[in-house]
This record gives sequence, C-alpha cells and structure tokens, in this order.
Amino acid sequence: MIMIRSIVRPEKSDNVLSALMDAGFPAVTKMNVVGRGKQRGIKIGDITYDELPKELLLTVVKDNDKDFVIKTVIKAARSGKKGAFGDGKIFVTPVDEAYTISSGIRETSADESEEVKI
Amino acid sequence: MKEVMAIIRMNMMNQTKRALSDAGISSLTARDALGRGKGLVDMTLLKGAEQGYEEAISQLGQSQRLIPKRILFIVVNEKMVEKTVKTIIKVNRTGKSGDGKIFIMPASDSVRVRTGEKGATTLDD
Repeated sequence: MIMIRSIVRPEKSDNVLSALMDAGFPAVTKMNVVGRGKQRGIKIGDITYDELPKELLLTVVKDNDKDFVIKTVIKAARSGKKGAFGDGKIFVTPVDEAYTISSGIRETSADESEEVKI
Repeated sequence: MKEVMAIIRMNMMNQTKRALSDAGISSLTARDALGRGKGLVDMTLLKGAEQGYEEAISQLGQSQRLIPKRILFIVVNEKMVEKTVKTIIKVNRTGKSGDGKIFIMPASDSVRVRTGEKGATTLDD
C-alpha cells in the first residue's frame, strides 16, 4: 500500500476530490496547510509571502493504483494546460499496515487481510 | 521505528488521549482534518434532525461531502505498534462506518531538538 500526499491549491481541491470520486477512490482526508516552495513564496513589491495557503489531501491506495491516482490528481490540480508555479506537489510514502477501526480488519502491504482480536 | 497515523471521530479524542496515556504512549500530535471514506452518509439517520440545521445537513449529502475528523500522528518503537493500534481500536470502535482508519508507515529516525539525541531514546518506552 502507498500513501499519496498531494498539496494542491485550495481552489482546485474540490476539482481533485470529484476527480478522485469519479475515478473510484472515494476515501480521502483533507487538511488546510500553509507552505512555500522552491520559488521561496511570492514577492510582490517589497513584501514576500512565504506562508501560502494550500490543501493537503491524503489518500491510501494499492500499489497497482499508484500511477493512475497520481495522474488523476495531476490532471485535476494543474491550472491551465501547462501548469503554473504553486500548483502543488505530490509525495508518495509506503504504508505497511492499515486498520479499519469499525470492523478491526487489518490489511497489509502484501494484500492480506484478517480481523484483529481486541 | 514506525509512524502510526490514526483518523478518528472528533468526539472520541479525549477518550483516546486518556487510553493512550494509560497505555504508556504519552506523546502524540493531533490535527483537525476533513475526510470521507468508502461509505456514503446514511441519510436515514438524519431524519427529523433537519429543522434548524439546514446548513449543517447540506454539508453532508450523498456524494463528495467531507466529514470533520481528528487525525493523530504517533511515532513509536516497533514493539509498541501493536499496543498502540489495539488501544486505539478498542476505544474508538462503535461498529458503525465512520469509526476511522489507522495507517502504519516506516519512520527512519527521530531526533530530539533540545539535546540532539537520536533514535529510540527519544521515544516513549
């Protein structure tokens, strides 16, 4: 399993969420974050803005779906055809195990699932 | 060393914190988050509750509506992972969808900023 953390523009996050829903990946967690990127924020006149508001979307998917989900996010989050600075970033991290609290089902990266006894 | 990321119901936060500290896991980071899972919101549960809460109800709905959740980040030693997960599941389980999800990810190192110490000594025993 893989966790995909996408940092996107706040105005594009609805777009990304509906694209993921249509692509069959409904489960997402969203957080408001602030940050800056390689361009060191935005400089307007003498003022530098380096805490730009963004939205962080967390999705955990199977290894096989990784490329498809990343492509879906990129397509939905890019502004214009070529994209622009500030469109965001996607980070991919491995997930060893995932538990669903309501049922206690444990899924591992090897695609096994079992119920845990509490 | 592993990072446990748990997404739970907002109203379970206090119980979860208490249970974790009773289990010897005192350090954690928590944040507000919005999320959706595989299941859709069961509208029959809201029957009769619409009056006066039209705005709140309209935020739920059928499709891509997001529900407020709390997200916990806990970095623990390998041998504590099972205990952490079981504690969280025990407290948070109501058996209904929306109870949350726990993800376990590898963490390569941890450093205490105050002293510069590295590795297992910086974590809870």
